[in-house]
Amino acid sequence: MEITVTGANAITSPHLHVWDWRVSLYLFLGGLSAGLAIMTSILHVRKGGNLAKGDRAAVSAALWTPVILSVGMLFIFLDLERKLNVFWFYLTVQPLSPMSWGSWGLLVFYPVCILFALAAFPAEKRKKLAFRQLIELSEMLSRYKLHLAAANFGMGIFIGIYTGVLLSSFVARPLWNSAILPVLFLTSAMSAGAAFMIMIASQKKVKLFFTKVDIWLVLAEMVLLPLFFYGQYTSSGANRESIMPFFTFNHEYFWYGLAMLLLLVVLPIALVMKFLEVNEDHGEELSHEALMKMNLSALLVLAGGLIIRFSFVYAGQLSHLS
Amino acid sequence: MPKYAMVINQRRCVACMACVVACKKENEVPPGQFRTRVIENTEGTFPLLRMELRSELCNHCDNPPCVYNCPTGASYKADNGMVLLKHNRCVGCKSCVAACPYDARYINEEKGYADKCTFCDHRVKEGKEPACVATCLGKSRVFGDLEDPKSPVSVALRENHAEVLLKSAGTKPRVYYVKKFSKPE
Repeated sequence: MEITVTGANAITSPHLHVWDWRVSLYLFLGGLSAGLAIMTSILHVRKGGNLAKGDRAAVSAALWTPVILSVGMLFIFLDLERKLNVFWFYLTVQPLSPMSWGSWGLLVFYPVCILFALAAFPAEKRKKLAFRQLIELSEMLSRYKLHLAAANFGMGIFIGIYTGVLLSSFVARPLWNSAILPVLFLTSAMSAGAAFMIMIASQKKVKLFFTKVDIWLVLAEMVLLPLFFYGQYTSSGANRESIMPFFTFNHEYFWYGLAMLLLLVVLPIALVMKFLEVNEDHGEELSHEALMKMNLSALLVLAGGLIIRFSFVYAGQLSHLS
Repeated sequence: MPKYAMVINQRRCVACMACVVACKKENEVPPGQFRTRVIENTEGTFPLLRMELRSELCNHCDNPPCVYNCPTGASYKADNGMVLLKHNRCVGCKSCVAACPYDARYINEEKGYADKCTFCDHRVKEGKEPACVATCLGKSRVFGDLEDPKSPVSVALRENHAEVLLKSAGTKPRVYYVKKFSKPE
């Protein structure tokens, strides 16, 4: 079949170019901050708050959440073609637009995660907050730490799901138009959050606890990914075609094939490394070598999340209904 | 209230591209960008070939995914059935571009907002036909009010078997095609 199109190019055939690396990074960093919010809440609630005691992550994890979110939002802002019109997001509510409820959700997520960071600030370190008003606010909020942890946890789940729903709501893009995608993105976000927590925690007990959490999350990811592809393969012709970039190992789809191969390598290796980490007898303190291995397996999990976001964002735009 | 629609009779299209040029001129579409296009689809093995000429544009769907996905309300469905844009509200997030199954939208390179066919609503308000319809040499493109049984679109739909693109997407398009090779279902 030969097709000639007059009046079309990459602009009028936008499946060739709609969203690029900026949106991929936004989805990854948004997911990472959501996952970190969930893990931070768990850290401060687990064992009546004793797990967090004395650990560096008790302070830094909650502070990293809004910072990572801000960097992610910077990238989506850079992607907007009319940046000065950004205020329109907050002058209307479009209930059927995931981007609308996501933008409102992010507006709620910011204060929740900042208030939780203040509430979770350890009492002995409060003087580091420098301003008297901040110290008083932290003291006052610490009484509502559990409530704020629940809100932070809930908003983390919401934002994690939202990053997937943002793509899955497009009937025009069969690869994205799957109910599994938001669950996959949420799982990947939580897994990345746990991996990040492992990297910033200072104590062995915290690192090992989140390593155990991450094992289950990486396992869930490794179940959801094949389920996603299986669901697409057994669906309509357009859905089946939409996953072919990942399984057609030729030069045209080189990056998608590579992404699939990397996922097949990165996630199982991370899983095995984590499994060995929790079963190893570490003694009182983690050795330098053990720390390196933990950081490496955490980096592999983060790389897996990044690969998923990049490959799905780009491959989705190649998929068509016709 | 009228319900505007377009019928494209593919039997009458000669792929002269006059519609593409007229649209660009009328709507000041930037160079390299288009609101409508003509697809020449050649099938078969030489010498047993056949060619389909298909004009494509915004389908002004009754169930428009671009409108549902717009986060600012810039895209909207007008009472007369046209899917239009409030350019001042558009943030250029490209949600509508990704949402359209017909790839009818693009980001206007000069202005930054999402853009697409408007059925030349400014001309329709003056009682004129859209520029592509007015210029169509073979009278392949027909425009009018579905509520008016005497309008050209109502007549064309009554006298021909017409189809829509990607019916399974459930978008309920308002651009109908009288196909050269199709058979009635």
